[in-house]
Amino acid sequence: MLKGVHQKLEPQESPAFFVRGPSPFSRMMFFCALSIVLMAVDSRLNYLAQFRQTFIAALHPLELIAQAPSDWGMNIRHYFTAHGRLLDENQALKQEAVQHKVMLQRLQMIELENAHLRTLLQGNAPIIPKAILGEILHMGRDPFSNVIVVNRGTHHDVKAGQAVVDAEGVIGQVTRAFPFSAEVTLITDDNLAIPIQVERNQLRAIAFGEGKSNTIDLPFLPTSVDIKVGDRLVTSGIDGVYPAGLAVATVTEVRQSPDSPFAKIVSTPIAGVNNHLQLLILSLPESQQSAMPTEATQVKTETAKPAPTTSPSPTAKPSIENKPNASR
Amino acid sequence: MRPVNLTTVLLTLIVALTFQLYPWSGQGVILRPDFLLVVTLYWVIRAPHLINVGIAWFAGLIVDLSTGSLLGQHALAFGFAAFLALLYQRRLVLFNRWQLTVYVFALLITERAIVLMLKLFADNENPGLSYFWPVITTLILWQLMVLMFGAPTRPRH
Repeated sequence: MLKGVHQKLEPQESPAFFVRGPSPFSRMMFFCALSIVLMAVDSRLNYLAQFRQTFIAALHPLELIAQAPSDWGMNIRHYFTAHGRLLDENQALKQEAVQHKVMLQRLQMIELENAHLRTLLQGNAPIIPKAILGEILHMGRDPFSNVIVVNRGTHHDVKAGQAVVDAEGVIGQVTRAFPFSAEVTLITDDNLAIPIQVERNQLRAIAFGEGKSNTIDLPFLPTSVDIKVGDRLVTSGIDGVYPAGLAVATVTEVRQSPDSPFAKIVSTPIAGVNNHLQLLILSLPESQQSAMPTEATQVKTETAKPAPTTSPSPTAKPSIENKPNASR
Repeated sequence: MRPVNLTTVLLTLIVALTFQLYPWSGQGVILRPDFLLVVTLYWVIRAPHLINVGIAWFAGLIVDLSTGSLLGQHALAFGFAAFLALLYQRRLVLFNRWQLTVYVFALLITERAIVLMLKLFADNENPGLSYFWPVITTLILWQLMVLMFGAPTRPRH
Protein backbone atom coordinates (compact mmCIF):
# COMPACT_ATOMS: atom_id res chain seq x y z
CA MET A 1 0.00 0.00 0.00
CA LEU A 2 2.78 2.33 0.87
CA LYS A 3 4.39 1.47 -2.37
CA GLY A 4 1.16 2.35 -4.21
CA VAL A 5 0.94 5.81 -2.59
CA HIS A 6 4.55 6.42 -3.46
CA GLN A 7 3.91 5.57 -7.07
CA LYS A 8 0.92 7.90 -7.16
CA LEU A 9 2.82 10.88 -5.74
CA GLU A 10 6.04 10.54 -7.66
CA PRO A 11 5.01 12.02 -11.04
CA GLN A 12 3.62 15.17 -9.39
CA GLU A 13 5.70 18.33 -9.62
CA SER A 14 6.41 20.23 -6.44
CA PRO A 15 4.47 23.52 -6.38
CA ALA A 16 6.47 26.76 -6.38
CA PHE A 17 7.29 27.98 -2.90
CA PHE A 18 6.70 31.63 -3.83
CA VAL A 19 4.00 32.64 -6.24
CA ARG A 20 5.67 35.03 -8.69
CA GLY A 21 3.74 34.54 -11.91
CA PRO A 22 5.71 33.59 -15.00
CA SER A 23 9.41 33.16 -14.35
CA PRO A 24 11.68 36.14 -15.01
CA PHE A 25 13.38 34.20 -17.77
CA SER A 26 10.18 33.58 -19.72
CA ARG A 27 9.16 37.23 -19.25
CA MET A 28 12.57 38.36 -20.46
CA MET A 29 12.40 36.10 -23.52
CA PHE A 30 8.93 37.38 -24.37
CA PHE A 31 9.93 41.05 -24.12
CA CYS A 32 13.22 40.47 -25.95
CA ALA A 33 11.29 38.95 -28.83
CA LEU A 34 8.83 41.85 -28.73
CA SER A 35 11.58 44.47 -28.88
CA ILE A 36 13.38 42.69 -31.70
CA VAL A 37 10.12 42.66 -33.67
CA LEU A 38 9.65 46.36 -32.87
CA MET A 39 13.17 47.19 -34.03
CA ALA A 40 12.67 45.32 -37.28
CA VAL A 41 9.31 47.00 -37.91
CA ASP A 42 10.67 50.44 -37.02
CA SER A 43 13.77 50.20 -39.16
CA ARG A 44 12.26 48.56 -42.25
CA LEU A 45 8.61 49.63 -42.33
CA ASN A 46 6.93 52.95 -41.76
CA TYR A 47 4.02 51.87 -39.57
CA LEU A 48 5.21 53.43 -36.34
CA ALA A 49 5.55 57.08 -37.40
CA GLN A 50 2.01 57.95 -36.32
CA PHE A 51 2.44 56.14 -33.00
CA ARG A 52 5.65 58.08 -32.35
CA GLN A 53 3.97 61.38 -33.18
CA THR A 54 1.02 60.87 -30.87
CA PHE A 55 3.26 59.70 -28.07
CA ILE A 56 5.59 62.68 -28.34
CA ALA A 57 2.58 64.99 -28.35
CA ALA A 58 1.41 63.31 -25.14
CA LEU A 59 4.87 63.78 -23.67
CA HIS A 60 4.86 67.51 -24.44
CA PRO A 61 3.57 68.73 -21.03
CA LEU A 62 6.27 66.74 -19.24
CA GLU A 63 8.86 68.22 -21.58
CA LEU A 64 7.62 71.70 -20.74
CA ILE A 65 7.97 70.96 -17.03
CA ALA A 66 11.46 69.62 -17.61
CA GLN A 67 12.46 72.74 -19.51
CA ALA A 68 10.98 75.17 -17.03
CA PRO A 69 14.02 75.41 -14.69
CA SER A 70 16.45 76.13 -17.51
CA ASP A 71 14.03 78.67 -18.96
CA TRP A 72 13.84 80.43 -15.60
CA GLY A 73 17.61 80.36 -15.34
CA MET A 74 17.85 81.91 -18.79
CA ASN A 75 15.33 84.61 -17.86
CA ILE A 76 17.21 85.47 -14.68
CA ARG A 77 20.47 85.63 -16.57
CA HIS A 78 18.86 87.88 -19.17
CA TYR A 79 17.56 90.11 -16.40
CA PHE A 80 20.99 90.58 -14.92
CA THR A 81 22.92 91.19 -18.15
CA ALA A 82 24.64 94.49 -17.74
CA HIS A 83 23.02 97.59 -19.13
CA GLY A 84 26.30 98.64 -20.71
CA ARG A 85 26.65 95.40 -22.59
CA LEU A 86 23.19 95.75 -24.02
CA LEU A 87 23.98 99.30 -25.12
CA ASP A 88 27.15 98.12 -26.82
CA GLU A 89 25.26 95.33 -28.51
CA ASN A 90 22.56 97.74 -29.62
CA GLN A 91 25.18 100.05 -31.11
CA ALA A 92 26.84 97.21 -32.96
CA LEU A 93 23.52 95.93 -34.26
CA LYS A 94 22.55 99.38 -35.49
CA GLN A 95 25.82 99.69 -37.33
CA GLU A 96 25.31 96.27 -38.86
CA ALA A 97 21.75 97.19 -39.86
CA VAL A 98 23.00 100.30 -41.69
CA GLN A 99 25.60 98.26 -43.52
CA HIS A 100 22.99 95.69 -44.44
CA LYS A 101 20.62 98.39 -45.65
CA VAL A 102 23.26 99.71 -48.00
CA MET A 103 23.83 96.18 -49.26
CA LEU A 104 20.07 95.65 -49.56
CA GLN A 105 19.72 98.69 -51.79
CA ARG A 106 22.24 97.17 -54.14
CA LEU A 107 20.51 93.80 -53.85
CA GLN A 108 17.14 95.28 -54.76
CA MET A 109 18.64 96.85 -57.85
CA ILE A 110 20.33 93.62 -58.79
CA GLU A 111 17.15 91.65 -58.19
CA LEU A 112 15.19 93.99 -60.43
CA GLU A 113 17.84 93.66 -63.07
CA ASN A 114 17.85 89.90 -62.65
CA ALA A 115 14.08 89.69 -62.97
CA HIS A 116 14.24 91.84 -66.08
CA LEU A 117 16.92 89.64 -67.61
CA ARG A 118 14.94 86.54 -66.73
CA THR A 119 11.82 87.87 -68.42
CA LEU A 120 13.93 88.71 -71.45
CA LEU A 121 15.16 85.11 -71.50
CA GLN A 122 11.66 83.84 -70.62
CA GLY A 123 13.01 81.93 -67.62
CA ASN A 124 11.08 81.16 -64.47
CA ALA A 125 11.28 83.66 -61.65
CA PRO A 126 13.44 82.40 -58.77
CA ILE A 127 11.37 81.11 -55.90
CA ILE A 128 11.93 82.91 -52.61
CA PRO A 129 10.88 80.49 -49.92
CA LYS A 130 8.87 81.43 -46.86
CA ALA A 131 10.50 80.79 -43.52
CA ILE A 132 9.43 80.02 -39.97
CA LEU A 133 11.57 81.20 -37.08
CA GLY A 134 12.33 78.38 -34.67
CA GLU A 135 14.39 77.92 -31.56
CA ILE A 136 16.60 74.99 -30.61
CA LEU A 137 15.09 73.06 -27.71
CA HIS A 138 17.92 70.62 -27.12
CA MET A 139 20.73 68.93 -28.99
CA GLY A 140 19.04 65.56 -29.05
CA ARG A 141 19.14 63.09 -26.20
CA ASP A 142 20.80 60.37 -28.17
CA PRO A 143 24.62 60.63 -28.19
CA PHE A 144 24.75 58.61 -31.40
CA SER A 145 22.88 60.85 -33.79
CA ASN A 146 23.61 64.34 -35.08
CA VAL A 147 20.17 65.69 -34.40
CA ILE A 148 18.78 68.84 -32.85
CA VAL A 149 15.19 69.38 -31.76
CA VAL A 150 13.44 72.68 -32.48
CA ASN A 151 10.29 74.11 -30.95
CA ARG A 152 8.23 74.25 -34.15
CA GLY A 153 6.14 71.32 -35.32
CA THR A 154 3.24 70.30 -37.51
CA HIS A 155 1.07 72.82 -35.65
CA HIS A 156 3.24 75.54 -37.16
CA ASP A 157 3.19 73.92 -40.63
CA VAL A 158 6.60 72.31 -40.37
CA LYS A 159 6.93 69.20 -42.49
CA ALA A 160 9.60 66.57 -42.80
CA GLY A 161 12.02 67.44 -45.56
CA GLN A 162 12.22 71.18 -45.03
CA ALA A 163 15.60 72.88 -45.03
CA VAL A 164 16.84 74.57 -41.87
CA VAL A 165 19.30 77.49 -41.96
CA ASP A 166 20.73 80.05 -39.59
CA ALA A 167 22.25 83.47 -40.24
CA GLU A 168 25.52 81.96 -41.48
CA GLY A 169 24.45 78.98 -43.50
CA VAL A 170 22.66 75.67 -43.83
CA ILE A 171 22.16 73.65 -40.64
CA GLY A 172 20.30 70.64 -41.96
CA GLN A 173 16.94 69.21 -42.81
CA VAL A 174 13.80 68.39 -40.84
CA THR A 175 13.58 64.61 -40.68
CA ARG A 176 10.69 64.10 -38.28
CA ALA A 177 7.92 66.57 -37.52
CA PHE A 178 5.97 66.15 -34.29
CA PRO A 179 2.97 68.30 -33.27
CA PHE A 180 4.98 70.77 -31.17
CA SER A 181 8.56 70.01 -32.09
CA ALA A 182 10.61 68.78 -35.00
CA GLU A 183 13.80 66.82 -35.35
CA VAL A 184 16.47 68.41 -37.54
CA THR A 185 19.26 66.20 -38.85
CA LEU A 186 22.48 68.18 -39.18
CA ILE A 187 24.44 68.25 -42.43
CA THR A 188 27.28 66.52 -40.59
CA ASP A 189 25.14 63.39 -40.15
CA ASP A 190 26.35 60.56 -42.34
CA ASN A 191 22.84 59.87 -43.61
CA LEU A 192 22.36 63.34 -45.05
CA ALA A 193 23.55 64.48 -48.47
CA ILE A 194 23.34 68.00 -49.81
CA PRO A 195 23.88 69.18 -53.39
CA ILE A 196 26.49 71.91 -53.41
CA GLN A 197 28.36 74.16 -55.76
CA VAL A 198 31.83 75.64 -55.37
CA GLU A 199 31.26 79.38 -55.20
CA ARG A 200 34.48 80.21 -57.06
CA ASN A 201 33.97 78.15 -60.22
CA GLN A 202 30.34 76.90 -60.05
CA LEU A 203 31.46 73.28 -59.92
CA ARG A 204 28.58 71.08 -58.78
CA ALA A 205 28.96 68.14 -56.40
CA ILE A 206 27.16 66.34 -53.62
CA ALA A 207 28.40 66.64 -50.05
CA PHE A 208 27.93 63.97 -47.40
CA GLY A 209 28.20 64.27 -43.65
CA GLU A 210 30.87 62.24 -41.88
CA GLY A 211 29.06 61.34 -38.68
CA LYS A 212 30.83 62.17 -35.47
CA SER A 213 33.66 64.41 -36.57
CA ASN A 214 31.72 67.60 -37.47
CA THR A 215 33.06 67.61 -41.03
CA ILE A 216 31.59 67.22 -44.47
CA ASP A 217 33.01 64.99 -47.18
CA LEU A 218 32.97 65.50 -50.96
CA PRO A 219 33.46 61.98 -52.29
CA PHE A 220 33.99 60.72 -55.84
CA LEU A 221 35.70 63.78 -57.24
CA PRO A 222 38.77 63.17 -59.40
CA THR A 223 42.20 64.15 -58.11
CA SER A 224 42.43 66.82 -60.79
CA VAL A 225 39.33 68.61 -59.53
CA ASP A 226 39.61 72.38 -59.17
CA ILE A 227 38.89 72.74 -55.46
CA LYS A 228 41.32 74.53 -53.16
CA VAL A 229 41.56 74.93 -49.43
CA GLY A 230 39.43 77.90 -48.40
CA ASP A 231 36.81 77.50 -51.14
CA ARG A 232 33.28 78.23 -50.04
CA LEU A 233 30.65 75.63 -50.84
CA VAL A 234 27.11 76.89 -51.38
CA THR A 235 23.87 75.06 -52.14
CA SER A 236 23.25 74.56 -55.83
CA GLY A 237 19.46 74.43 -55.49
CA ILE A 238 18.96 71.62 -57.96
CA ASP A 239 17.24 69.35 -55.44
CA GLY A 240 14.34 71.70 -54.77
CA VAL A 241 14.84 71.47 -51.00
CA TYR A 242 17.60 73.96 -50.36
CA PRO A 243 17.31 77.29 -52.15
CA ALA A 244 20.38 78.09 -54.24
CA GLY A 245 23.26 80.10 -52.85
CA LEU A 246 23.15 79.32 -49.14
CA ALA A 247 26.54 78.85 -47.55
CA VAL A 248 27.24 75.27 -46.50
CA ALA A 249 30.92 74.80 -45.70
CA THR A 250 34.47 75.88 -46.32
CA VAL A 251 37.07 73.46 -47.62
CA THR A 252 39.74 72.80 -45.01
CA GLU A 253 41.73 69.99 -46.52
CA VAL A 254 42.37 68.56 -49.98
CA ARG A 255 44.38 65.35 -50.00
CA GLN A 256 45.47 63.27 -52.94
CA SER A 257 46.51 59.74 -52.17
CA PRO A 258 48.40 57.91 -54.90
CA ASP A 259 46.38 54.71 -54.57
CA SER A 260 42.97 56.30 -55.06
CA PRO A 261 41.52 57.88 -58.20
CA PHE A 262 39.48 60.25 -56.03
CA ALA A 263 40.59 63.24 -54.02
CA LYS A 264 39.82 63.34 -50.33
CA ILE A 265 38.17 66.71 -49.70
CA VAL A 266 37.25 67.64 -46.16
CA SER A 267 35.27 70.74 -45.29
CA THR A 268 33.77 72.16 -42.13
CA PRO A 269 30.24 73.56 -41.93
CA ILE A 270 29.84 77.33 -41.75
CA ALA A 271 26.60 77.45 -39.76
CA GLY A 272 27.19 77.72 -36.03
CA VAL A 273 24.81 75.17 -34.54
CA ASN A 274 26.40 75.47 -31.13
CA ASN A 275 26.51 79.24 -31.06
CA HIS A 276 22.95 80.46 -31.16
CA LEU A 277 19.44 79.27 -30.53
CA GLN A 278 17.42 80.84 -33.34
CA LEU A 279 17.14 79.28 -36.76
CA LEU A 280 14.93 79.49 -39.83
CA ILE A 281 12.89 76.61 -41.21
CA LEU A 282 12.38 77.19 -44.94
CA SER A 283 9.22 75.93 -46.57
CA LEU A 284 9.50 73.43 -49.39
CA PRO A 285 9.07 75.17 -52.72
CA GLU A 286 8.15 72.29 -54.98
CA SER A 287 6.87 69.25 -53.14
CA GLN A 288 3.78 71.13 -52.01
CA GLN A 289 0.74 70.43 -54.12
CA SER A 290 -0.29 74.07 -54.01
CA ALA A 291 2.99 74.99 -55.66
CA MET A 292 2.23 72.89 -58.70
CA PRO A 293 -0.77 74.88 -59.97
CA THR A 294 1.03 78.18 -59.46
CA GLU A 295 3.86 76.89 -61.57
CA ALA A 296 1.39 75.85 -64.19
CA THR A 297 -0.20 79.30 -64.14
CA GLN A 298 3.24 80.85 -64.42
CA VAL A 299 3.88 78.85 -67.54
CA LYS A 300 0.48 79.80 -68.89
CA THR A 301 0.99 83.51 -68.33
CA GLU A 302 4.38 83.29 -69.95
CA THR A 303 2.94 81.63 -73.02
CA ALA A 304 0.09 84.09 -72.99
CA LYS A 305 2.35 87.14 -72.86
CA PRO A 306 4.21 86.55 -76.10
CA ALA A 307 0.98 85.39 -77.67
CA PRO A 308 0.23 88.53 -79.71
CA THR A 309 3.70 88.60 -81.25
CA THR A 310 4.13 84.94 -82.13
CA SER A 311 2.08 83.34 -84.84
CA PRO A 312 1.17 79.84 -83.53
CA SER A 313 -0.71 80.96 -80.43
CA PRO A 314 -3.40 83.06 -82.18
CA THR A 315 -4.23 80.06 -84.28
CA ALA A 316 -4.34 77.84 -81.25
CA LYS A 317 -6.60 80.15 -79.29
CA PRO A 318 -9.50 80.26 -81.74
CA SER A 319 -9.37 76.49 -82.02
CA ILE A 320 -10.08 76.19 -78.30
CA GLU A 321 -12.79 78.81 -78.54
CA ASN A 322 -14.31 77.13 -81.54
CA LYS A 323 -15.00 73.91 -79.72
CA PRO A 324 -17.76 75.17 -77.45
CA ASN A 325 -19.23 77.06 -80.39
CA ALA A 326 -19.36 73.88 -82.40
CA SER A 327 -21.07 72.03 -79.60
CA ARG A 328 -23.67 74.75 -79.37
CA MET B 1 12.29 47.98 4.51
CA ARG B 2 8.74 49.29 4.54
CA PRO B 3 6.26 47.98 1.98
CA VAL B 4 5.60 50.37 -0.89
CA ASN B 5 2.41 51.08 -2.78
CA LEU B 6 2.08 51.41 -6.52
CA THR B 7 1.36 55.16 -6.51
CA THR B 8 4.76 56.05 -5.01
CA VAL B 9 6.44 53.82 -7.54
CA LEU B 10 4.61 55.36 -10.48
CA LEU B 11 5.16 58.90 -9.16
CA THR B 12 8.91 58.37 -8.85
CA LEU B 13 8.97 56.88 -12.34
CA ILE B 14 7.21 59.96 -13.75
CA VAL B 15 9.59 62.29 -11.90
CA ALA B 16 12.51 60.29 -13.29
CA LEU B 17 11.05 60.61 -16.79
CA THR B 18 10.80 64.38 -16.34
CA PHE B 19 14.46 64.51 -15.37
CA GLN B 20 15.24 62.30 -18.36
CA LEU B 21 13.54 64.86 -20.60
CA TYR B 22 15.55 67.79 -19.18
CA PRO B 23 17.36 69.46 -22.09
CA TRP B 24 21.07 68.98 -21.55
CA SER B 25 23.53 71.01 -23.51
CA GLY B 26 27.28 71.42 -23.73
CA GLN B 27 29.77 69.06 -22.14
CA GLY B 28 27.33 67.85 -19.46
CA VAL B 29 25.77 65.48 -21.99
CA ILE B 30 28.71 63.11 -21.54
CA LEU B 31 27.85 62.65 -17.86
CA ARG B 32 24.06 62.63 -18.06
CA PRO B 33 22.79 59.83 -15.80
CA ASP B 34 20.04 57.40 -16.77
CA PHE B 35 17.36 58.65 -14.39
CA LEU B 36 14.62 56.32 -15.49
CA LEU B 37 16.87 53.25 -15.52
CA VAL B 38 18.12 53.71 -11.98
CA VAL B 39 14.63 54.31 -10.57
CA THR B 40 13.26 51.30 -12.43
CA LEU B 41 16.07 49.03 -11.21
CA TYR B 42 15.62 50.28 -7.65
CA TRP B 43 11.95 49.33 -7.64
CA VAL B 44 12.61 46.03 -9.40
CA ILE B 45 14.93 45.04 -6.56
CA ARG B 46 12.81 46.60 -3.82
CA ALA B 47 9.32 45.62 -4.99
CA PRO B 48 9.43 42.89 -7.64
CA HIS B 49 5.72 42.16 -7.11
CA LEU B 50 4.91 45.66 -8.44
CA ILE B 51 7.62 46.35 -11.02
CA ASN B 52 8.68 43.52 -13.21
CA VAL B 53 10.37 42.99 -16.55
CA GLY B 54 7.28 44.24 -18.38
CA ILE B 55 7.20 47.70 -16.80
CA ALA B 56 10.99 48.01 -17.13
CA TRP B 57 10.63 47.16 -20.80
CA PHE B 58 7.94 49.80 -21.16
CA ALA B 59 10.13 52.39 -19.44
CA GLY B 60 12.84 51.57 -21.98
CA LEU B 61 10.33 52.02 -24.78
CA ILE B 62 9.52 55.51 -23.46
CA VAL B 63 13.24 56.32 -23.44
CA ASP B 64 13.40 55.14 -27.06
CA LEU B 65 10.50 57.38 -28.00
CA SER B 66 11.89 60.43 -26.23
CA THR B 67 15.38 60.07 -27.69
CA GLY B 68 14.03 59.36 -31.16
CA SER B 69 16.14 56.24 -31.50
CA LEU B 70 15.03 52.98 -33.06
CA LEU B 71 12.03 51.63 -31.14
CA GLY B 72 12.95 48.67 -28.94
CA GLN B 73 16.66 49.34 -28.39
CA HIS B 74 16.49 50.77 -24.89
CA ALA B 75 13.42 48.63 -24.21
CA LEU B 76 15.42 45.46 -24.77
CA ALA B 77 18.29 46.72 -22.62
CA PHE B 78 15.99 47.82 -19.78
CA GLY B 79 14.12 44.50 -19.89
CA PHE B 80 17.35 42.52 -19.79
CA ALA B 81 18.78 44.56 -16.91
CA ALA B 82 15.53 44.09 -14.99
CA PHE B 83 15.73 40.36 -15.69
CA LEU B 84 19.27 40.19 -14.31
CA ALA B 85 18.11 42.11 -11.22
CA LEU B 86 15.13 39.76 -10.75
CA LEU B 87 17.20 36.64 -11.29
CA TYR B 88 19.10 37.17 -8.03
CA GLN B 89 16.54 39.44 -6.37
CA ARG B 90 16.04 37.20 -3.33
CA ARG B 91 19.78 37.02 -2.83
CA LEU B 92 20.29 40.74 -3.49
CA VAL B 93 18.14 41.78 -0.54
CA LEU B 94 20.55 39.87 1.70
CA PHE B 95 23.55 41.83 0.42
CA ASN B 96 24.92 44.78 2.28
CA ARG B 97 24.79 48.23 0.74
CA TRP B 98 28.17 48.19 -1.00
CA GLN B 99 27.80 44.68 -2.39
CA LEU B 100 24.50 45.78 -3.85
CA THR B 101 26.12 48.88 -5.35
CA VAL B 102 28.66 46.68 -7.11
CA TYR B 103 25.87 44.54 -8.52
CA VAL B 104 23.96 47.61 -9.70
CA PHE B 105 27.16 48.85 -11.33
CA ALA B 106 27.31 45.58 -13.28
CA LEU B 107 23.65 45.98 -14.27
CA LEU B 108 24.22 49.52 -15.54
CA ILE B 109 27.28 48.45 -17.54
CA THR B 110 25.24 45.60 -19.06
CA GLU B 111 22.44 47.95 -20.06
CA ARG B 112 24.85 50.38 -21.71
CA ALA B 113 26.67 47.55 -23.47
CA ILE B 114 23.42 46.17 -24.91
CA VAL B 115 22.34 49.58 -26.19
CA LEU B 116 25.81 50.15 -27.65
CA MET B 117 25.72 46.78 -29.40
CA LEU B 118 22.26 47.38 -30.86
CA LYS B 119 23.26 50.88 -31.99
CA LEU B 120 26.35 49.51 -33.73
CA PHE B 121 24.19 46.90 -35.45
CA ALA B 122 21.98 49.73 -36.67
CA ASP B 123 24.95 51.43 -38.42
CA ASN B 124 25.62 54.12 -35.81
CA GLU B 125 29.03 55.61 -35.14
CA ASN B 126 31.06 54.14 -32.29
CA PRO B 127 31.14 56.81 -29.56
CA GLY B 128 34.11 55.19 -27.80
CA LEU B 129 34.57 54.49 -24.12
CA SER B 130 33.16 57.87 -23.10
CA TYR B 131 29.77 56.27 -23.68
CA PHE B 132 30.20 54.48 -20.35
CA TRP B 133 30.92 57.60 -18.28
CA PRO B 134 27.26 58.13 -17.28
CA VAL B 135 27.39 54.84 -15.34
CA ILE B 136 29.33 56.67 -12.60
CA THR B 137 26.80 59.49 -12.27
CA THR B 138 24.00 56.93 -12.39
CA LEU B 139 25.61 55.09 -9.47
CA ILE B 140 25.67 58.36 -7.50
CA LEU B 141 21.98 58.64 -8.31
CA TRP B 142 21.51 55.11 -6.99
CA GLN B 143 22.98 56.18 -3.66
CA LEU B 144 20.57 59.12 -3.68
CA MET B 145 17.65 56.74 -4.21
CA VAL B 146 18.90 54.62 -1.30
CA LEU B 147 19.10 57.75 0.87
CA MET B 148 15.60 58.83 -0.06
CA PHE B 149 13.72 55.53 -0.02
CA GLY B 150 15.93 53.33 2.12
CA ALA B 151 18.20 50.49 1.08
CA PRO B 152 16.29 47.68 -0.66
CA THR B 153 18.05 45.19 1.60
CA ARG B 154 16.88 43.49 4.76
CA PRO B 155 17.97 45.23 7.95
CA ARG B 156 20.41 43.23 10.11
CA HIS B 157 19.40 42.21 13.60
